[in-house]
Amino acid sequence: MNRGSRKKGIIALGCACLILALLPFFTDSRYFMHLIIMTCINIMLGLSFSMLFSAGLVTMGAAGFWGIGAYTSALLVLKAGLSFWVAMPLAALATACVAFIVGLVIIRAPGVAFIIQTMIVNMILVQVFGHFEFFGGWAGLLDIPAPNPIGPITFTGKTANYYLILMLLLVNILAFYALYTSRIGRAWSAIRLNARLAETLSVDLFRYRLVAFIISSAGAGLAGSFYAHYFQTLEPNMFNVFKSIYIQIYSILGGLNFYIPGPVIGAAIITFVPELLRIGKEIEPILTGAVLILLVIFLPGGILSLPDRLGFFTKEPLAASSGKNSVQEQQEKRVL
Amino acid sequence: MTIELFSQLLLNGLSIGLIYVLVASGLILLLGVVRIFNFAHGEFYMLGAFITFGCCEFLHLNFFVSIAIAIVLVTILSLFCYRFIFHYIRGDILLCTAASIGLSMMLLRGALLSFGTQERGLHPPFKGSVGIGQVNLPAEKVMAILLCIGVMFGLYWLLMRTKVGKAMRAVKLDNEVASLQGINTTRIYQIAFAAGCALAALAGGIMAPVFSITPSMGHSLLLNCFMALVVGGMQSMLGGVVGGLVVGLVLSFGMYFVGDLSEILLFAVIGVIIVFKPGGLFGEPEHHE
Repeated sequence: MNRGSRKKGIIALGCACLILALLPFFTDSRYFMHLIIMTCINIMLGLSFSMLFSAGLVTMGAAGFWGIGAYTSALLVLKAGLSFWVAMPLAALATACVAFIVGLVIIRAPGVAFIIQTMIVNMILVQVFGHFEFFGGWAGLLDIPAPNPIGPITFTGKTANYYLILMLLLVNILAFYALYTSRIGRAWSAIRLNARLAETLSVDLFRYRLVAFIISSAGAGLAGSFYAHYFQTLEPNMFNVFKSIYIQIYSILGGLNFYIPGPVIGAAIITFVPELLRIGKEIEPILTGAVLILLVIFLPGGILSLPDRLGFFTKEPLAASSGKNSVQEQQEKRVL
Repeated sequence: MTIELFSQLLLNGLSIGLIYVLVASGLILLLGVVRIFNFAHGEFYMLGAFITFGCCEFLHLNFFVSIAIAIVLVTILSLFCYRFIFHYIRGDILLCTAASIGLSMMLLRGALLSFGTQERGLHPPFKGSVGIGQVNLPAEKVMAILLCIGVMFGLYWLLMRTKVGKAMRAVKLDNEVASLQGINTTRIYQIAFAAGCALAALAGGIMAPVFSITPSMGHSLLLNCFMALVVGGMQSMLGGVVGGLVVGLVLSFGMYFVGDLSEILLFAVIGVIIVFKPGGLFGEPEHHE
């Protein structure tokens, strides 16, 4: 990562922040604001998937940890009577604790076994939320209060909630960016490029993967805590494996090698495009599936790899190499 | 517990477990030979059940002829899928998984749109029951069990005793060396993919008279098959057989003794197994992916 690309990244982030911060002044459509808020939540979930991917693990259980955050926060507020501002960090902490215990068991078998085991963890969590009356059963938790007001600011409308999730998203992105550029992030990319080689260089695979699992789950838990108080109802089937599959699609669509911009682009497209095109809920999965297949075949690096593929921003266009090679080349140069 | 009840529960567990065995063997075949972790497998199972149902109910064909038609149609469909999707990305397991998720979404939603959500049931081709000693067992479940065992022996024979099976095992070990020995790896990939999907269609056909037929039947079955893979391990067919039977029996006995908690009981069993054997009972964990 050279200085130029970091500068570009900072400029892009600043512009995006400015536009997003001014957005509520240009629109008063509650529906549009709702879509934007859901996009922000989905981006946080996609970032969580990408962080595990950066350590060479593919998770199918991100939605389960999202659910832990949501349920913890809702129960702390409803049953223990805590303030939202106390419950939110506690929810992230609880998610991290669960991820630590689960990670101790399942990270020992990476690869395909990890995909299946995270999926099973997700199914267990949905069953647990549904079976026990303590979690509200299959009918779910209702009437979760909105975040407590701070002074004159109340969080009942869309705008205040929008600024809150924007802040959370920004904190999330900056924290993950700091991690990717730190020693831990370099260890993760070493593991992803060649786990065996990284291990010979005394990178502790298990420990670094566990750290990735805990931190990414905490990020998902934070998103879940906000979601519970924004949406105000929780139902176990919101957090099932289908949602985890969608979370994976956000990252693949944007580009798996772009750990931060990838989920941002992917989640925005998957959330907005079906709504804007007025595509019915019935045929939306068919189109999403078709897009996923076409993307995987023709553009395996995701949408953000398009400029690279076409030869923009590079001095000479990439040689017409086979797909495998270009994927490897992209793995070696991490952008942003 | 009476012997009657015990044998009923055992029969239920075995019949559903053997279905898991068939589907899980197909998954292991795809995973080992073609390196595809196929999420669309449950949809091939569902299509097999629907085609069998349609041939039996509307064309009034014999049950076994219907199953054969279902297998042929699903095999053709799977070869199309292989040729137009997986052929271009073979070898990259993550991309193949993503593509199969897309395929699964399309097939599931397509089936929902064309067949609707109502449950259908096929009249059992065999009426009455089989008496063993003083125990009476429903004939269609006994038939399902016998068919599944026969197919598994057939699969064993195919893999271990024929030239194609030998080639598949060689490709599984190392596809480059296998192609150096004159094995047409593309052809072997196609055969393995078609065989795996045909197993799923066969399982769907066998289960058509036993369970109700809905478009989402494949999805729930696939999740249980994944559990079977985790229990048994993903490297060998033996893992699939043992895993499928364990999952089926735990669900069947658990449903009687603890009711709705049987799924949580199953999760507990899986948890204990992966704590002590991270790669499953008959597999080694892949340390480096």
